Amino acid sequence: MRTGRFAALAIAAVILDSAVAPEIEILGARPDFLVLLVAYGALVLGARPATIGGFILGLIVDAEHPEYLGLHALSLSVIGFASAAAWEHLVRGSLFVQICVLFGAALLHDLIYYLVYYRNHLDMFARFFVRFGLIGAAYTAAFAVVIYILAQARTWRAIVGGTRV
Amino acid sequence: MLAQLSRVLRGNRELSTLLFCVALSIVCLSLPPGAKEFVSSVLSGTILGPVQRLSTAIVQRGRVQEENAALRRIAIELMTERSALVDYRYENERLRELVGFLVAFPKEELAEMIPARVTAMPGGRVVESMKIDKGHWDRLEPDMPVVVPSGLVGKIASIFEDESLIEPLTSASSGVSVMTERGRVRGVVKPRFGGGSRRGTCEIAYVQARSDVREGDLVVTSGLGGVYPAGITVGRVVGAVEGPLTMSIEVEFAVDFSTVEQVFVLTGRTGVPGEMDELRKRLLMELNSERAALEGRP
Repeated sequence: MRTGRFAALAIAAVILDSAVAPEIEILGARPDFLVLLVAYGALVLGARPATIGGFILGLIVDAEHPEYLGLHALSLSVIGFASAAAWEHLVRGSLFVQICVLFGAALLHDLIYYLVYYRNHLDMFARFFVRFGLIGAAYTAAFAVVIYILAQARTWRAIVGGTRV
Repeated sequence: MLAQLSRVLRGNRELSTLLFCVALSIVCLSLPPGAKEFVSSVLSGTILGPVQRLSTAIVQRGRVQEENAALRRIAIELMTERSALVDYRYENERLRELVGFLVAFPKEELAEMIPARVTAMPGGRVVESMKIDKGHWDRLEPDMPVVVPSGLVGKIASIFEDESLIEPLTSASSGVSVMTERGRVRGVVKPRFGGGSRRGTCEIAYVQARSDVREGDLVVTSGLGGVYPAGITVGRVVGAVEGPLTMSIEVEFAVDFSTVEQVFVLTGRTGVPGEMDELRKRLLMELNSERAALEGRP
């Protein structure tokens, strides 16, 4: 059941990432809905499903750019694992913690992605990471507030089912 | 060392899953281009393609709505602009007509004509009075005749500082001394109410029986009475009722009073020497050059 919901949310995240994210761009940075999904997936489902889910989701998204097949899969599976590890040791219900975890997850994702993408041009990596990675991570983390409000309105349970505490 | 690692991995399923996924990702990244293309095409065809199509449909729907809203805005702007242009066109036509009238007005009279715009037309179906935007400050005086290119409108009834009230021929209190242009039959024209004509009709009553009046005869001011100069068109004869001693002549007004927008007040004064001539000359030249341009002459 949870897997089905995750799959439905994954489709929604892909659509949001391609249809909505470009429309709400700020200073060239976009929120990363895939990171958002994997990070919260780790909170709800745990480390293994989040890692596998992140890998599959990343691989599907990578199909758009065959040259870098596996790059999103790599970064999102690492995000799934790292986020789960973070949730394990932190107070999940705190908005501040959620923002921090999301910021860290988005930053880690961009770090891995840009590092592999610009592996032969590290100057470009630094420029892009600072220019888009930091703002994008902050933007993505800001969505924690939206999700927190949804959770407070008890919609959270209706969307993802019971949390694994 | 390997045995130790194996033990650690066996005891930590999460870490082993991660390492497995990372290893698989690296394998994917290291695949030869042909294999990458194949995997991508399979994934695109089965999963990503339909999702992307859905996403594209959503984006396009949003864009179509935006485009629709923008087109609606443009349509409203264009309609407003068109409406303004139509107004300008009609105004242009009216002004051309007035210019033509000014040029065609008998030069020997050299009458000073003050153009004015009708600002209000109180009354219902019958136009009882008209307000114009010229008054005492423009040296207008009561009883000055008011005309348009098609004929006589009436006379000034009341004067204010910067506006005046006109008593049109359709007013119940109006009475103008007229004559038929062909038969020189004289009489006083009074408005008639309830006629079917849109322009309105009037009647020349108590004309001697068997006078030389025919349908279609032009009725002009006679110049008697001292208010209206002679020769201004009032209307055309549309019928006559013969009695034993007198006859009544029905006349249709030349002016459609309900559509009058611009008028000329004949002050009775002679224009400033040379000024009217200059104006007429200039207008005549402009009209002639325009006509020549229309006819394709150099």
